[in-house]
Amino acid sequence: MQSSKAAALRRQRFDQYVAVYHQDMYRYAAWLSRDRSIAEDVVQESLMRAWKSLDALRDEAAAKQWLLTIVRRENARYFERKRLETVDIDNLTASQAALLAEQPDEEIDHMRHAIYELDDDYREPLVLQVLMGYSTSEIAEQMGLKQGAVLTRLHRARAKLREQMAKP
Amino acid sequence: MKCEEYREAIEADPSFDGNAGHLSECAGCQAYRTEMLALEQTIGRALRLDVPELRVPELPELSTSKADNVTTLRKRSWAPLTTPTWFAMAATVVVAALLGIRLLSTGIEHQSLADQILAHVDHEPYALRVTDVAVSDERLASVVPANVARMDHSAGLITYAQSCVINGHEVPHLVIQGERGPVTILLMPQEMILEAQILAGENVNGVILPVGNGSIAIIGESGESLERIQQQVMKSATWST
Repeated sequence: MQSSKAAALRRQRFDQYVAVYHQDMYRYAAWLSRDRSIAEDVVQESLMRAWKSLDALRDEAAAKQWLLTIVRRENARYFERKRLETVDIDNLTASQAALLAEQPDEEIDHMRHAIYELDDDYREPLVLQVLMGYSTSEIAEQMGLKQGAVLTRLHRARAKLREQMAKP
Repeated sequence: MKCEEYREAIEADPSFDGNAGHLSECAGCQAYRTEMLALEQTIGRALRLDVPELRVPELPELSTSKADNVTTLRKRSWAPLTTPTWFAMAATVVVAALLGIRLLSTGIEHQSLADQILAHVDHEPYALRVTDVAVSDERLASVVPANVARMDHSAGLITYAQSCVINGHEVPHLVIQGERGPVTILLMPQEMILEAQILAGENVNGVILPVGNGSIAIIGESGESLERIQQQVMKSATWST
């Protein structure tokens, strides 16, 4: 009785995290992998790993960072296993192209392509800052970089996007 | 602050609100800031992809408490039991409880040591701070007691020290600042392995090394020079057990 109640509480806790952070997990995975289908796989694997290790999360306030770290590692493992090659934007698979599906807003369309073409090193801190609301010191912590390196990457990322958006 | 520096600062973080004096006097930077804020809005909208409906994978049932491994005895309805029988029953419950705890502590999920180590590193991201503040000698001594191992600061700048549980054993978890970022060190005097195991991954460039009757896991970022750290750690860590 006691254990089934504990199991129910555990499941409830897990479901709450998933409900709150699922969108962030998916979008982070999608921009890391640049592939909707891979992002779904990565999120599935991440949820499984999070479920198995939920008891290790003691600080509720760290839940988002914890889940995004799991996504980051799962994405790395996925690519380690698959050994995928560099994506050529002119030769995308269907699920890669789905990420760039045409939008009614041409400006958004243009920007999405520009973000897609950023180097991983530039794209990831940008996603963490703009989408996840991380500070530069939190990004540095998440990516294992010095804060100065993060600032440089973000500055370069935006400079590249600005340059791309200025092109017709 | 010159225009170039100001513009770099808002390119790195458009919410940068420093140097208001320069901004109020420089029309060029005011225009640039307006442009960057507009760009930021577009970036945000472009990043917000539609998210497909959530599919939660089938989750395995996990043991959630020690009570799971203790058999609950049915209420007995017959005549009062004699004292020796009570003793026997009490002993059985104690043994069952101890077995349960033992089973729990040895890892019900039977994950490999490598999996457990990687999972543990995943779940303590706050340990992986880039910092130049070393833990105190007292802290290090409390996490790595002399009766487990001897570890000194010659291994590198130790910025995190915590006792953690891996495979049912309490082990010292340390973080050293490497050349490319934080490097996790787990001292596992009770985890005997026959040969070194490589921990692969984009961001998990690591190894578990056999050391005496135990092992040491060293996990750094991709590209980290682990050999140098291995040598330093092996030199500075001596099992006492």
